[in-house]
Amino acid sequence: MGINDMEFSRRDFLKTAGAVGLAAAFGGFPSGLFAEERRLYKFPEKTDLILLTSRPPQLETPLHYFKELITPNNALFVRWHLADIPTSVDLSKWRLKVGGNTDRGLELSMDDLKKFERITYTAVIQCSGNGRSFFKPRIAGGQWQNGAMGNVTWSGARLKDILKQAGIRSGSVDVVFDGLDSGPLPKVPDFLKSLPVDKAIEDDIMIAYEMNGEPLTMLNGFPARLVVPGWFATYWVKALREITVVSKKYEEFWMKPAYRIPDNPCACVPPGSKPDKTVPITRMNTRSLVIGPSAGSTLKVNSAVDIMGIAFSGGYSIKDVIVSVDGGKSWREARCGTDMGRYSWIQWSHTWKPVEKGKYTIMARATNSIGESQPIESLWNPSGYMWNKIESVEVNVV
Amino acid sequence: MKSIIILIALLISVVFIRLNTEAIAEDTSAVKSIILPVIEGELKEGAGKDETAAFCNICHSTDYITMQPRLPADTWSAIVHKMIVVYGAPVNEDDSRTIINYLSSTYGAGK
Repeated sequence: MGINDMEFSRRDFLKTAGAVGLAAAFGGFPSGLFAEERRLYKFPEKTDLILLTSRPPQLETPLHYFKELITPNNALFVRWHLADIPTSVDLSKWRLKVGGNTDRGLELSMDDLKKFERITYTAVIQCSGNGRSFFKPRIAGGQWQNGAMGNVTWSGARLKDILKQAGIRSGSVDVVFDGLDSGPLPKVPDFLKSLPVDKAIEDDIMIAYEMNGEPLTMLNGFPARLVVPGWFATYWVKALREITVVSKKYEEFWMKPAYRIPDNPCACVPPGSKPDKTVPITRMNTRSLVIGPSAGSTLKVNSAVDIMGIAFSGGYSIKDVIVSVDGGKSWREARCGTDMGRYSWIQWSHTWKPVEKGKYTIMARATNSIGESQPIESLWNPSGYMWNKIESVEVNVV
Repeated sequence: MKSIIILIALLISVVFIRLNTEAIAEDTSAVKSIILPVIEGELKEGAGKDETAAFCNICHSTDYITMQPRLPADTWSAIVHKMIVVYGAPVNEDDSRTIINYLSSTYGAGK
């Protein structure tokens, strides 16, 4: 019986001591995983997820769901910025407004949206702050481990087609996206994000109304959300209500000063320091994760085990994944699974038969088709974004 | 008298039928709703706990506090001032001192 099989009631708490006790009892899960209190909680349309915050909701996906190529809708992470989130939407009244610096204004119903050519692809959705809790020195903010991500098949209309119908006027610079959420106080900056016009009219940018063939869950942005494959989820504005084309660079709070990274090739600064210049965070860096065996597992000597995991990069296919079982001294190439396209994650595996007892450190490193890979040491930035250090998983062979 | 009662009954039934028709006319299948759970946050005991809970809860649950790593006092101070300056939290100078003291002594990392 593993942690996955255990039943947790709504208000069960997993505390450090409890986690260590369980790990000892069931011989297989990481003592480091529950450094701080982690509790599971069930929200509407969701299964038990790790509760970071309740209002607004921030819920993390337990790692074992990443054994699957596609993340189920009820297990996908949830992250809202402002407390007043939509909890009821009447599709007979909901309209997606499109306007600003356009030839005409649009008010699209869901039926209208579905009249545009439907496109479908699988893409990783990942929060900018995924892995923030691993940075040293520690960084204030959402204390995500690895579960603020998922791999989902999205369907919807091309943003480009919608903007074409509205008619982008010359001199347009940015396209601004607003959702149904709002702040509980008048001064709280509304959550608006923008894309440069050139980015917004790329073929793959989508107004998604389905995830894995179903309508979006309310907490993941029902009835429609922006999907910017390859880019961090901060742009994937949920529960869209308005798209505005503007003729000036859009630099309100959630574009500046929020969601910025150091303006240099590594997007990093010496730990604890501040960058001189920042730019908006955009494209995801390359990551890989070891999903099995889980950290702290006990394995049997002379019996083969499949080391498996996932790898993805910001819109460029994974070229290879290499695996080490000796803490990075030697590496072997892993086998990669089904290729679901350049925005999806890929599953990889490597069969290993330990012939000696002892402690082993398993590592995996992915490289994408343009040579972007993962660092041995973490690259630090003040907001705790873009965590992609090569992970180490300690196992015990007996 | 009898006819008045019948008239009233008739009126009520007409109103009722109308309401009913309206309810049908409004396509309930087009409405999607959820009810969010209310989860009580638990802050550690300490001077200023009640003020901290009261002010912070205006905008967010207190698990925003309890999930943080131990933070130095100047980081807590910067966070509280961000809430006031950027997000418009209605916290005066006295209350902000109480809150910062509570956070730094209860969830602080020392110097």
